[in-house]
Amino acid sequence: MLLIPISSSSSVLPQSFFNSTSSYSSNHHSLFLSNLSYPIPYGSRKLKTLRLRANFWESIRSGFVKNNNSTQLVEPPSIVDEEEDTEPLLPVEFTLVERTLQDGLIEEIIFSSGGEIDVYDLQGLCDKVGWPRRPLVKLAAALKNSYMVATLHSVMKSSSVSDSGSGSSEGDSGEQQQEKKLIGMARATSDHAFNATIWDVLVDPEYQGQGLGKALVEKLVRALLQRDIGNISLFADSQVVDFYQNLGFEADPEGIKGMFWYPK
Amino acid sequence: MLLGGTISTPPASLRLKSTLNPQNAVTQSSQAAFPAAMQRKPPSYSISDEDLKSRGFLLRRTPEGLNLDQLNSVFVAVGFPRRDTAKIEVALEHTDALLWVEYEKTRRPVAFARATGDGVFNAIIWDVVVDPSFQSCGLGKAVMERLIEDLQAKGICNIALYSEPRVLGFYRPLGFVSDPDGIKGMVFIRKQRNKK
Repeated sequence: MLLIPISSSSSVLPQSFFNSTSSYSSNHHSLFLSNLSYPIPYGSRKLKTLRLRANFWESIRSGFVKNNNSTQLVEPPSIVDEEEDTEPLLPVEFTLVERTLQDGLIEEIIFSSGGEIDVYDLQGLCDKVGWPRRPLVKLAAALKNSYMVATLHSVMKSSSVSDSGSGSSEGDSGEQQQEKKLIGMARATSDHAFNATIWDVLVDPEYQGQGLGKALVEKLVRALLQRDIGNISLFADSQVVDFYQNLGFEADPEGIKGMFWYPK
Repeated sequence: MLLGGTISTPPASLRLKSTLNPQNAVTQSSQAAFPAAMQRKPPSYSISDEDLKSRGFLLRRTPEGLNLDQLNSVFVAVGFPRRDTAKIEVALEHTDALLWVEYEKTRRPVAFARATGDGVFNAIIWDVVVDPSFQSCGLGKAVMERLIEDLQAKGICNIALYSEPRVLGFYRPLGFVSDPDGIKGMVFIRKQRNKK
């Protein structure tokens, strides 16, 4: 089965997750696009002070908004504050939630910001949330052209397996069955220097209401900030404006309006 | 004026034919296959390329020849912060489309706009500037009309931007609508490191 590796501009290679998913269904073919690494940005040294002054949006900041959601996340929601630049770099992939289900299965929700994504899985997810269908080739191209693609996957493991070095264990016994499912995605386009725009935030309806969407966006924002992208924007449907406000986004800051060219 | 309506992606061959036959609005082969709404007429701009050229303005679609220090001066002149030119260079390398106007006499940029996106669905237009000495004579409109046309030619249907309140009136006649269906542009706000 072929998959599309998505690289962000960092030099961290996406972790291969598929050695361990022996039971992952692979009865379809995905598009494979190669050579996705971005060049190291010229002038990638940190110019923090200069960047903060130069950022157009700095002039319209009005303070930060506390992220006050309460979820059962393993990693507590972070508040963007003065220490943000001294926080360790967000790992490309890490576990957000781990829980034991009724039938003894263990479920891990994994966040990844540079991992691989199967366009067929993505299309299935878009179907689940009721979005209109888009051509697969275009979906693949959009992902490839995105600066960062963040995903949430659910991995189911049976609890009868000992948990030493979970995930990519080498000596797979026949009993360690893992099922990996795409349950959320968000992506951002960017000019790699000043602006990033977040598009296509979605979470599987079966997993909504658990704070996963918030975690997805919050981690994506943090990853973007850690790459020195100063201006992070998005367009929110009216019913989700509050959702983003709770994550630190402000609508029409200083009267600046989002406009669309001949919207449908 | 600009093409009306939203055009979903016509095939590349159709677009090429349209631009090769400026006299004919529509090519024969397109009429049979596509409904009228999808056929793309050749671009007719408010001010033609020839008109601009005769006034000494050259249209450019690549960063070649663009002096970033001079561009920075235009940014500052319109009230944007001055930016690190190394970062501007990175930004221009990762831009879906850009357009700038070079004033022949001085070889300096006098108008500029660029768009970023995913190359298939969405594009956002940033940094639309016209040197104050050259404003109000159609350069901003000229740049915007062509940038939109270039994005459309790539099949991008969703073109958006963030407009300061005082220039909403510039974008509206170009076909931009603010908050359609209640969609709000939102920006992530960070805590200031140095409180003023």
